[in-house]
Amino acid sequence: MVAQQIINAVSLGGVYALLALGLAIVFSIVGLINFAHGELMTLSGYALLASLVLGLPFPVAVLVAVTCGALAAVAMERIAFRPMRGASVTSLLLTSFAVSSLLKVVFQNGISARPQAVAMPGWMTGAFSFGDFTIGVGPSISIVVSALALIALEVFLRRSVTGTAMRAAAEDFDVVRLMGIPASRIIATAFLLSGLLAGLAAMLWVAQRASVDPLMGFTPVLKAFIAAVVGGLGSLPGAVAGGFLLGIIEVLLQATLPATIAPYRDAIVLSGVIAVLLLRPQGLIPAVRVQRS
Amino acid sequence: MASVAMSESKSGRFMPAAFRNATADALCMVAVLLLVALAAFFFGGVAMQRVVTYAAIMLTAVLGLQIFSGNSGIVSFGQAAFVGLGAYATGILTMPTALQRTALRDLPQFLAGHELSFFAALAVVLVLAVVIGLLTGTPLLRLTGSSASIATLAMLIIVYTLLVAGREITRGSQPFYGVPREVGLWTAAAVASVALVAARLFRETSFGLASRAAANDERGAAAVGVDQRTARLAAWVAGVVAAMAAGAMMAQFLGAFSPRDFYFDLGFTMLAMLIVGGMTSSLGAFAGVVVTIVVIEIVRRFEGGGEVLGLHLPVLFGLTQGVLAIAMILVIWRRPTGLFGERELNLLRRSGRKPDMASAAPPQQVGGDKLVADRLSRRYAGVVAVDNVSLSFETDSISGIIGPNGAGKTTLLNMLAGDIKPSAGTVSVGGTVREASAFRFARSGIARTFQNIRVFPSMTVLENVVVAARQVEPDLGRAEAAAMRELSRMGLDKFADQPAARLAYGQRRRLEVARALALKPRFLLLDEPAAGMNAVETAELVSILSAVRAERRIGVVLIEHDMRLVMNLCERIVVIDHGRVIADGTPADVQNNPAVIAAYLGSRTARATTAHATAENQTA
Repeated sequence: MVAQQIINAVSLGGVYALLALGLAIVFSIVGLINFAHGELMTLSGYALLASLVLGLPFPVAVLVAVTCGALAAVAMERIAFRPMRGASVTSLLLTSFAVSSLLKVVFQNGISARPQAVAMPGWMTGAFSFGDFTIGVGPSISIVVSALALIALEVFLRRSVTGTAMRAAAEDFDVVRLMGIPASRIIATAFLLSGLLAGLAAMLWVAQRASVDPLMGFTPVLKAFIAAVVGGLGSLPGAVAGGFLLGIIEVLLQATLPATIAPYRDAIVLSGVIAVLLLRPQGLIPAVRVQRS
Repeated sequence: MASVAMSESKSGRFMPAAFRNATADALCMVAVLLLVALAAFFFGGVAMQRVVTYAAIMLTAVLGLQIFSGNSGIVSFGQAAFVGLGAYATGILTMPTALQRTALRDLPQFLAGHELSFFAALAVVLVLAVVIGLLTGTPLLRLTGSSASIATLAMLIIVYTLLVAGREITRGSQPFYGVPREVGLWTAAAVASVALVAARLFRETSFGLASRAAANDERGAAAVGVDQRTARLAAWVAGVVAAMAAGAMMAQFLGAFSPRDFYFDLGFTMLAMLIVGGMTSSLGAFAGVVVTIVVIEIVRRFEGGGEVLGLHLPVLFGLTQGVLAIAMILVIWRRPTGLFGERELNLLRRSGRKPDMASAAPPQQVGGDKLVADRLSRRYAGVVAVDNVSLSFETDSISGIIGPNGAGKTTLLNMLAGDIKPSAGTVSVGGTVREASAFRFARSGIARTFQNIRVFPSMTVLENVVVAARQVEPDLGRAEAAAMRELSRMGLDKFADQPAARLAYGQRRRLEVARALALKPRFLLLDEPAAGMNAVETAELVSILSAVRAERRIGVVLIEHDMRLVMNLCERIVVIDHGRVIADGTPADVQNNPAVIAAYLGSRTARATTAHATAENQTA
């Protein structure tokens, strides 16, 4: 029972970490908190649904769905955010807020306001026994996928030229541009990565719930925002730490709170978050940014 | 003649120009609001009256958002939550006791059976709003920029969760019903009018000025003594009060509601209204609500589907939200400051009315004070920027700090201004040691300017200086007069009503000096005041600085690379290299000091001579 709860906690934390990381990558480079990140997740969910309905094999469908998320993120940047380049942080934030609302309306009218069932393969909802422990397949996959994604991203950022440029851009974008690296490529890559992570998170989310609805991305991404702020806005390790922390605290509170207090869980968790920010206004692992006198 | 001047200056003292102008604007907007209400009352049907009432309630809420976000520059997503809290509080306080017994069986005793009238409940809600505002604002305002925005989002979720979970009090996610519907057109219009006046005047209060300055440039604001946390907290509390007042009316307007009504959709609608109109002014909020309500009313007719111009429209979910989203994107894209720009009506200023320039008392002369750096050091990850520097500056003197690039001049100046905390050592002003805090230093008489100018671009030239003047002159009227005097001293009085962003480079430098002088400082620290100026502008600056020093006997400390300026102007020169003082004396002394020639002028011959000399010394 305890082991099961820990697995659940880490798997939820993993999803939050993926989402928060996607937000942090974009924020570190363009200073945008992308409210429409949740809609990328929803879109990937619908892409999975469509691929499965069209009869694609499950692995291919997942691949299509994640790709859709990544491409949608790039398209979003092109259409909505590129015309705004150089605008204030507030304008960008509000634009993404509006884009998010608009996409929700589009999903509601274009597809359906009701949840659509997604036929997940049977083995994903199963469980395997491990001595005395029974561990769900879904959460285990979720943990493995999150871990792999985090490692892959780390390798990309450390080893590739674009990744190095992105890390540099997070600290001082102007200088990176002066080094002859095209801004558009860095920004597009940042959105691509964030879309990829949102797509993966969507797969993990759908795997545990087997349905998609227009508001699917809303709640997890809200949590991811908060995780990103707790970790230190724009700091990638901070986002991961914040995501795991939030997921773990949520599941543990859910498991331990008495029934009368359980409905207050979100309020308790978020008040805790604000308390953390009181002590560390820059977050747990603050981002490094250049400052000029 | 004299009596005319007297009466004029009296009327000026009765209300400062900024407030007179603001009141005129506010009354104009209130007049428009009341005209609309009258039109709806006499010519509109019940439906029309309800729309206008709803618009007035939303206006109150949006003005609350404007007071906070418009002045502090932090977008709040949490405002809807406070509307909700106001609505539930009013609902509980005004509900008939008999109904309460059936609808809210488990209501705690102290909340039950009050059955207040609307205005009595409103009074309670307003007091509650101040308490809630202080409680929520204090943690929130430790955060900056986007982090603060996300924290307001967290507050929205917290309040929503509480409303849903607190079933005994709120009926949870089920509808809360049975609230008497006493709020009609006139109540809503009256409360909205008060909110309009409050929002328009708030801009001009010291809190409004200070939070706008901090939103423009945080370090610049601290340097003129602005305590941005207090200012933002005041804006936040005022915003919460307006939101909860709107909530109180909303409760009695709707009669029945659930937590969902005060969640993201409401938050989004409020933000869209404010953004469409323009976030930075109460005029923007007013216009935004009017425009958006009209759009919503038109769009709503098509939401259920039907025939338009022969086209068959399907039923569309959330069409109003979609249209609002598009409107918001278009406005941000094409006109980021909103449809009504970032300026208020400014009725009195437009009609050519100049702010008063009543002769304020001339600044008293200061003297006999010391600014002392005692064994100051500052290290940055392995680099020692300032290394054990002890210096003392006196009033009624001009000193220059020179040294090669990277010598630690600006770091030293920042520590003298309280902007950077020393790694070791202390700074004392007039004998008392002070903890590093830029705004406290500014208030205790240390004014400064920055190497890359930090004026407040979206505020007017006069406001830029008034922000500083108010730190030493609490009365706005006198602060305005003092600010005008500093402006005319710097030859900027004719630009008083223009946004500072429109000034040319040299004028901005002078504005920064005027702003610093408005603090009535004992010491004025200037970081490369002549950087980027041409010879004529530099000469002008030199004459202004010597005149100011002669008039007010303040101590001027400046960092400068223009050697001619330094040698002509300064009585004492401190040379710094690698974070240490290598020479300190009159210009003549310093010019002939071999260490200075070697380190600062970097002349190859000087270095060769010294090297030669040391070599000779060693062989000898």
